[in-house]
Amino acid sequence: MYGTDTKTAVKVITAVLAGAWRRTPSPPDVSPDELAGAVPLLIGSGAAPLGWHKVRNSPELKDTPPARQLQDVFRFQVLQSAISEGDIEQVFAGLRQAGVDAVLIKGWTVAQVYPEQGLRPLGDIDVCVRPAHFELAKRILSGPELGGFDVDLHEGFGESDSRPFDELYVRAGSRQLGATDVRVLSPEDHLHVLCVHMLRHGAWRPLWLCDVAAALENRPDDFDWERLLGRDRRRARWVTCALGLASQLLGARVEDTPVAREAARLPRWLVPEVLRQWETPFPLRQAPTRHRAPMSLYLRRPSGVVRDLLNRWPNPIAATIHMGGPFNEMPRLPFQFGECAARTVRFLLSLRKILRGRR
Amino acid sequence: MEENGRNLQPRARTEGLVVRELPDEVLIYDTERHKAFCLNRAAALVWKHCDGRATVADVARSLQKELNGAGDEAVVWYALEQLGRMGLLTERVRAGAGPARLMRRREVVRRLGAAALVLPVVLAIAVPTAQAQGSCVGSNRPPGCPCSNNNQCASNRCVGGTCQPPL
Repeated sequence: MYGTDTKTAVKVITAVLAGAWRRTPSPPDVSPDELAGAVPLLIGSGAAPLGWHKVRNSPELKDTPPARQLQDVFRFQVLQSAISEGDIEQVFAGLRQAGVDAVLIKGWTVAQVYPEQGLRPLGDIDVCVRPAHFELAKRILSGPELGGFDVDLHEGFGESDSRPFDELYVRAGSRQLGATDVRVLSPEDHLHVLCVHMLRHGAWRPLWLCDVAAALENRPDDFDWERLLGRDRRRARWVTCALGLASQLLGARVEDTPVAREAARLPRWLVPEVLRQWETPFPLRQAPTRHRAPMSLYLRRPSGVVRDLLNRWPNPIAATIHMGGPFNEMPRLPFQFGECAARTVRFLLSLRKILRGRR
Repeated sequence: MEENGRNLQPRARTEGLVVRELPDEVLIYDTERHKAFCLNRAAALVWKHCDGRATVADVARSLQKELNGAGDEAVVWYALEQLGRMGLLTERVRAGAGPARLMRRREVVRRLGAAALVLPVVLAIAVPTAQAQGSCVGSNRPPGCPCSNNNQCASNRCVGGTCQPPL
């Protein structure tokens, strides 16, 4: 029965989101009932506006109750984006005034490759600053003028890109946002960040794969593939796997690119794992929010830890990235155990601080 | 605004509103009441012409010009009542300010006939939160969740594609 079967709902999501980033995508071949079953997953994962964009030209779907729900989310998202743009403008104006070198990634930057405002939620404001300016940026963003904005501040490009800050900063461009110039990564570097970010978080959110597809298909004519892949072969393989997922799951066009062969060669476990993640594409169902309690609480109440261990078992895609592993046919268990061991070590190292805090 | 219905000069609110125009509708977010609205083309035209100087008759004439003759003062009053109720005018249109009574929707539709497509509509946009959607999966869904059959809802009542509260 559609809707009660989440595997079916996931199949519908892939049909609904396939090509949804294009200006005039063809309507999906799904029934109103099937669409209704997928609506909670679309709304919960932030992809509802894209879903509306796909069904709005379908005579059979556009006036159905589930389509209307998607349309309402799209309308709200248009307004939310307008408000968020004002916030970004203020944040960047404030950082510039203080002399902080900052780059905006994800959110608004990736929304620019979609055909209409409102199709892609802007979320929080992801700002990457020069490491030497990090403390200053932290102070400014917690001050009275900018303290109310939802900013996710990163020291350098940290987790999403291991290359030196200056190497990416010097290639970054500017986009006009209101009266402010906002610095954004080059198309190659930004697509690299999008791919790695998605995998680092276990690819649980279908919207991230749409971002990868949208950025790929809207690349400029002079797109530098070597710059996209970088010098590290393992990270290059991560990127081609992300592009391959966009192609195999959502129909992104990679055939005419230098990475087509690599992108077609995905390890057999990867696509099923992504589809499994898409069965619960909700932020509250992901680590650490799905954990019942912080680990430190189990020091006093050890009985709960066994039940919570299952909630803490690492996503195999995320574990591979965190352990710097390859995307190949090897089982993921060693990387998941490795991730658990690394977390345990981090927890033990922080134990002294936790216990000191309790005295 | 003038109290006398005939000389009423409605004024659209501008403070505290975020407005975005789409091809066939206008979206408005009221930052003071934290509500979002969608105005169809006819409602948006009425709202746009409410500048505090135009009377209802003036607005009706502008509406007819832009909608190829469709719409009259009754339609404008109908729109003003909705706009006022949603807080999109500087003052609400009072029941006694216009014709003997403000017309109900079906009366306006009857008057418009084939041109009922230009019925001004102001919708409040209700958006389920992403968190709430986390529980809208499988069976036993709470009220407000989308659904396609009764078995999916905790109340066993799926009406219009949404789980309803229990009776």
